[in-house]
Amino acid sequence: MSFVIGVILLLTFFGLAYYCIKGHNLMIGFLVITIIWTALPLIGTLFVDQTFLEANKVLQFSDMKGLVKILNGIYQSAPEGWGTTLVNVCWGAWFGRVLMDTGIASTLIRKTVELGGDKPIITIALLNIVTAIIFTSMTGAGPVIAIGVIVLPILFSLGVPKPIALFSFMGSVAAGIYLNPVNFAQYRAFFIKPEEMPDFTLGWYASKWGYAAFGIMLVVTTVFTGIYLTRNKARHAWAAQSRTPQAAQKDAPLYTLILPVVPVVLNIAFNFSVIGGFVIAGFLALFLCGRMTGTFKENCQLVNKLYYDGVVDTAPLVGFLLTLPMFNAVAKYASPYFSVVIGDIMPRSEIVVCIVFALLLGMGLFRGPMTLVGCGAATLGVLSNVASFSVPFLYAVFAIPTITVNIGSCITQSWVAWGLAYSKVESKDFLKLSIPNAYVTGILQYAAIIIFLGGLGAEWFIK
Amino acid sequence: MGSMDREEFKRLMKPIADGLFGKQQGPRYEKPHYTVRPLNEMLKELAKVETVDYYRYAFSRDPINGKFTDEQRKSWAKEAVKCGKEYAQKIRQQYSTSEIQTIAKKLGLDVRYPDFPNKTDRVLFAEFHEPNIVEIYMDAMKKADKFLKDESISAIMKGHTKVSKIILAHEVFHYVEEKYSKEIFTQTEKTRLWSIGPVHNDSKVIAISEIAAMAFAEEINELAFSPYILDVLMVYGYDPEEASGLYEEICGYFDKEGLQA
Ligand SMILES: [Zn+2]
Repeated sequence: MSFVIGVILLLTFFGLAYYCIKGHNLMIGFLVITIIWTALPLIGTLFVDQTFLEANKVLQFSDMKGLVKILNGIYQSAPEGWGTTLVNVCWGAWFGRVLMDTGIASTLIRKTVELGGDKPIITIALLNIVTAIIFTSMTGAGPVIAIGVIVLPILFSLGVPKPIALFSFMGSVAAGIYLNPVNFAQYRAFFIKPEEMPDFTLGWYASKWGYAAFGIMLVVTTVFTGIYLTRNKARHAWAAQSRTPQAAQKDAPLYTLILPVVPVVLNIAFNFSVIGGFVIAGFLALFLCGRMTGTFKENCQLVNKLYYDGVVDTAPLVGFLLTLPMFNAVAKYASPYFSVVIGDIMPRSEIVVCIVFALLLGMGLFRGPMTLVGCGAATLGVLSNVASFSVPFLYAVFAIPTITVNIGSCITQSWVAWGLAYSKVESKDFLKLSIPNAYVTGILQYAAIIIFLGGLGAEWFIK
Repeated sequence: MGSMDREEFKRLMKPIADGLFGKQQGPRYEKPHYTVRPLNEMLKELAKVETVDYYRYAFSRDPINGKFTDEQRKSWAKEAVKCGKEYAQKIRQQYSTSEIQTIAKKLGLDVRYPDFPNKTDRVLFAEFHEPNIVEIYMDAMKKADKFLKDESISAIMKGHTKVSKIILAHEVFHYVEEKYSKEIFTQTEKTRLWSIGPVHNDSKVIAISEIAAMAFAEEINELAFSPYILDVLMVYGYDPEEASGLYEEICGYFDKEGLQA
C-alpha cells in the first residue's frame, strides 16, 4: 500500500513540475500540492502495514492531539519561521531603492564605462564586475531594471548586439547573487531553520565556495561574451529608441560609491547583522548624497517611500515565499513513501549527486524540478529525506540550478523577461547564448563543490 | 435557463480559474507613453535644424558622454561635420559620381538588403560589419518610403524618395573611416580616459564618428535637411508613439531658440 501512495505522490510531483513549467501561479501551485501531500501521507497511515509505520517515526501520531500538532507544524510554524527571511528581503529591497534614488548605482555604472571607453570587451568586462558587485547587496526586479536601463543602452551604443548585451548583463547579475546575504538567508531557509547550524554563515559559505561560484560565473559569462562578440562583429549599427532622460539625476560623490558593498563586507568579515548593514549604509548614502536636506517630515516621508517602493518590488516573490515553507515542512511526511518507490535509485554519494545534477542542469530552466524557486523545492524534499548529505553541500548543489540556471539564464526569471521586452530580443536568441554558459559555468561550479565542500564533518549534518 | 446560467457561471468562476492557472505575474516592461504627433509636423520642425545642432542628441548616445563639457561636444561636432563633408567631396571627385550605390560598389563594399536583421532586433535600420559588409534592412526602408509618398512629407524632404540611399551613405562613411583610419579626424581624435604613470587608456569618441557619418550622407546625397530626421521617420514606421517620444527627447536637446530659429 505504501508503494501505491508513493507512486501517486510521485505523479503529483510531476504534475507540479508541469504546472511550474507552464508558468502558472507558483504561490497557488505550492499551496495545492501542500494540501495533497498532507492528506495522502497522513490518511495513508490508516492503510499501510505496521512495519512501514514503525520504521518511520514522523508518521506516528496516536491521537487527535498528535495530528493537530503535525498540521500546526505545517501550516503555522513553518511559514512563521520564514518570517525572519522575509524581513531581510524587505530591508534589502529598501537598500536597493536607496542606492537607486541617491544615484549611487547609476554613477557607479557611468564611471565604470568611462574607464573602458570605445573598446567593447574591456568595457563589458569592467561593467560585468561592477554589476556583479552591485548585486551582492541589491536584489529584486526593481534594482535589476534600474541598472539595466543604464547598462543596456551603453552596451548597445558600443555596437554590442542586443542579445549579447542582455546575456552578459543578466549573467553578471546572477554572479552577484551568489554572495548576496538576502538570497543566502532565503535559500538557507530551504534546508534548515534560521536558528539551526549557527556556523553556517554567509562568511563561512563565501570563503568555502561562494567566492569560487561568484568568480566562475563572472569569468565564464565574460569569456562567453567575448567569444560571442568576436563571432558577431557589428561595428556600427543605426538604430533609434527613445530614452527617458536620466540626465536629471546628478552624479553621486565618488566616495559614496563604496557604500553598495558595505553591508555584504560587514556581514562576511564580522558576521555583522545584514539588516544593520543595510540601515548604516542606507542612511549614510542618503545623507552623503544630500537626500536628507529637507525638513524632518520630508526626510521621514522619503525613507518611507523608498521602503514602500522596495517592498512593492519584492511583492510577487513574497506570496510564493509564504506558501513554500509549508511545502518544505510537508515534504518530510511524504518522503517515507518516496523512499519506498525511488529510494534505491536516488544517488547517495556526493560525487554522483554532483554529476547527475550537472547533467540535469537544463531542468533548472522553466521552473523545472531542479530550481529552488520552482519545482526543485520538491526535489530537495525527496533527496534530503532518502539520503543524508551535509547542509552546505546540499545548499551548493541546489544553488547552481537556482542561481546560474534559473536566475541567470532563464526567461521565466522576472527581470530576464523584462529585459527581453525592453531590448526587443526574442526568447530563443537569449536562450541560445545563455544555455551554453549555464552548462559550462554550472559544471565548473559542481567541480568546485567536490573540491571545497565534499566530505564535511558530522557537525554539518542535520541532527 | 441553460446557456445564460452557464455563461454566468463561467464568469463567476473566471477569477478562480485565473488565480489557479493564470500566469505567474512579474514586472512587465511597459513603454513610457507619449501623445502621438503627426509625422509631417515633427519632420517639418526637425528639418529646420542643421546636423551640427544635433550634437547633444548624438552625444547623449555616447557611453562616455559624461566626461565632456558642452563646449567640447559642440566644437567636436563642428569638426566632425567638416570632416564628413570633406570626405564626401573627396570621394565624389575620386569616383566622379554622387551615386552612392556606385560608390559603394567601387569601394569594394558588399551591400546586402535583407528584410529583417537576423538578430531579431526589430528596430534596427542598418549595420556595417567589418571588414566590408553593409546590411540595410528593407522592412524599415519600405515603411519609411511609404511615408515619403505623402505630399507634405515629400515637400519637407525636397523630393528625396529613397531613404535607403541616405542610410547606405552613412554606413559607407564608416567603411571610409576604417580605410583612412590613420589620418581621418574621427579616428585620430582621442580622449584620455585615465592614466597611471606610463599606462593609459585613450578612447575614440563614438559620437564624432556618427555626426561625421551624418554630414557625409547629407553632402553626398545633396540633402536639404539633416539625416538625423530619419531617426524619427523610421521609428514612426514601427511605433508612432515611440517616435513622438523620441521627437520630444530630441527637442529637449536643442537650445530654447533652436527650434524656432
Ligand atoms: Zn553610424
